[in-house]
Amino acid sequence: MSMHKLEDLVARDRDHECEGVGASRVCVRVVGVADLPTRFGHFRIVAFWNNRDVKEHVAIVHGDVQGEAHVATRMHSECLTGDVLGSLRCDCRDQLIMGLKRIASEPCGVVLYLRQEGRGIGLINKIRAYSLQDQGLDTVEANLALGFRDDERDYAIAAHMLKSLAIRSVRLMTNNPKKVGELTKHGVEVSGRIPHVIPPNEHNRFYLETKANRSGHWIDFSGKPHLQEQGDAVMIEGANQQGQSDE
Amino acid sequence: MDAPMTTADTTHDVVVVGAGVAGLTAGRAFADRGVRPLVLNRGRGIGGRCATWRLNDIPLDYGVSFLHGSDPAFLDTVRSVPGVSLVPGWPHDIQGEGTPCQPRAFARGSSRLAYAEGLNHFPKFLACGLNIRREVSVESLMPGAGHLLLTLAGGEKIRARQVVLATSGTETERLLEPIEGVAAEVGATHRLLTMLGNLPCLTVMAVYGSEARSPAWDILYPDDSKLLHLVANDTRKRDDQGPVTLVLQAHALWSRIHLDTEVETWTRALLAEASMRLGDWVNRPTGVRSHRWRYARADAGSELSQPVLIDLPGGARLGVTGEVFAPGGGVEAAWASGRKIVTRMLETKGCVA
Repeated sequence: MSMHKLEDLVARDRDHECEGVGASRVCVRVVGVADLPTRFGHFRIVAFWNNRDVKEHVAIVHGDVQGEAHVATRMHSECLTGDVLGSLRCDCRDQLIMGLKRIASEPCGVVLYLRQEGRGIGLINKIRAYSLQDQGLDTVEANLALGFRDDERDYAIAAHMLKSLAIRSVRLMTNNPKKVGELTKHGVEVSGRIPHVIPPNEHNRFYLETKANRSGHWIDFSGKPHLQEQGDAVMIEGANQQGQSDE
Repeated sequence: MDAPMTTADTTHDVVVVGAGVAGLTAGRAFADRGVRPLVLNRGRGIGGRCATWRLNDIPLDYGVSFLHGSDPAFLDTVRSVPGVSLVPGWPHDIQGEGTPCQPRAFARGSSRLAYAEGLNHFPKFLACGLNIRREVSVESLMPGAGHLLLTLAGGEKIRARQVVLATSGTETERLLEPIEGVAAEVGATHRLLTMLGNLPCLTVMAVYGSEARSPAWDILYPDDSKLLHLVANDTRKRDDQGPVTLVLQAHALWSRIHLDTEVETWTRALLAEASMRLGDWVNRPTGVRSHRWRYARADAGSELSQPVLIDLPGGARLGVTGEVFAPGGGVEAAWASGRKIVTRMLETKGCVA
């Protein structure tokens, strides 16, 4: 059984205040821990407070991660439309479920669920971006104007969350080498990378069926372009791996 | 297909449309990097919503009530304005539980300030040395070969290789609409602007005689009024014991309903509403002036992250900027959006030779 108790982190962090991580000087505290049985496995959920935004980030933890090295880790950005509603405009739900299943299959692992809706552009502006796409007006300039993404802050928050969980090193589940570099820059030891490969299913068949690529976005069978919400090119088992970041 | 050239036509490298804080900041940023833009302003007064009116020779801020921000570069700029007495931290004393126009102004890490001589000194400072034409209304914008053709009210035409639109959201929307088919980016930017909300604000400035006593607060946000959004006690921006001066600003919804009604009616209504909280003397100003802000501020949730830069077919470039094109809203966002568009225009090469 677990020797470390995640609950103890709440007391440890009660008065925690450090100089902060990264240029945005992010500091987080563990403020709540509970069991979270899910259909993908039995997890514990850890709630974080942070000093930079009013967003309530959480870590979904499997097994005993404290003091562990090579912990399977996935960073997931909140996506209401995908995660909750099962939208086919993105693959966020597939990616989240894959991440949860993967950590459940490991002795220990963590999914950092970052409340950066629509990769930080916010739900309102994400829906505005969808609206422009629906009208065939999906331009780089409009997406830049709609995007609030502050990558640096996301990574700083993730780095501090991992440190708060006393994780010594991570094996990052990503297809994006930039994520590895950014976390390393913020003091996280990345001991390996687990390719984030999603098995084919009826919901991602558009990736298999169409390789249509319009202005850098994937188009699904109902004609809707995709935003890269998780900052990760999706890899589907057995599919042509076109469109990925080169490694 | 350009309109026939007249002798009055002039060609400029850069034209900035709008001399509010965004346009003036853009003009200033160009000038600092050796580009001399022509700045066009529809009205006589520059500064847009960073506005001060002298009533009985006393300055009243009838647009934004105070400046606030968190970007050190912005705060350094507003603190560096010469010839004004800084009122750091204004408003100190806030009365009422109503919502401020920009709740972020009071967030941790945000600094607030005013100038005793009026906030319009900030845009005036930005405007120093710039080539500004006032009372010039741009009727239309048309892309041509290597330039944009601006047609002014009265028929004068100006050609520019690069144009920055730093007008209010609704005005920018109007200028882009006829050319939205010219490029996908123009269409998308126009559609984007139609999705953003903006709020009007009916404003009353009032100066009082000796019967009036200055209320013991800087700004009041009533939480129980459908009319009044705020009362700014501008008296307390100065320590000269001068007459009591108040600025009354109406709620957006009420302003929208009464926007095109008789000015005297809504002015009286706002004074009466304030008098119920402050005393009957409020109904008897010695000097009063009202202003309709059709476009007072961006709606919450309208903010975008950065300005838009469009390379038009034909080679001209169009920058679209202003308060909504930077996060946070307000004067700080206008300033940031003005700087950002210039950085992007100068750091990326257009198709122009």
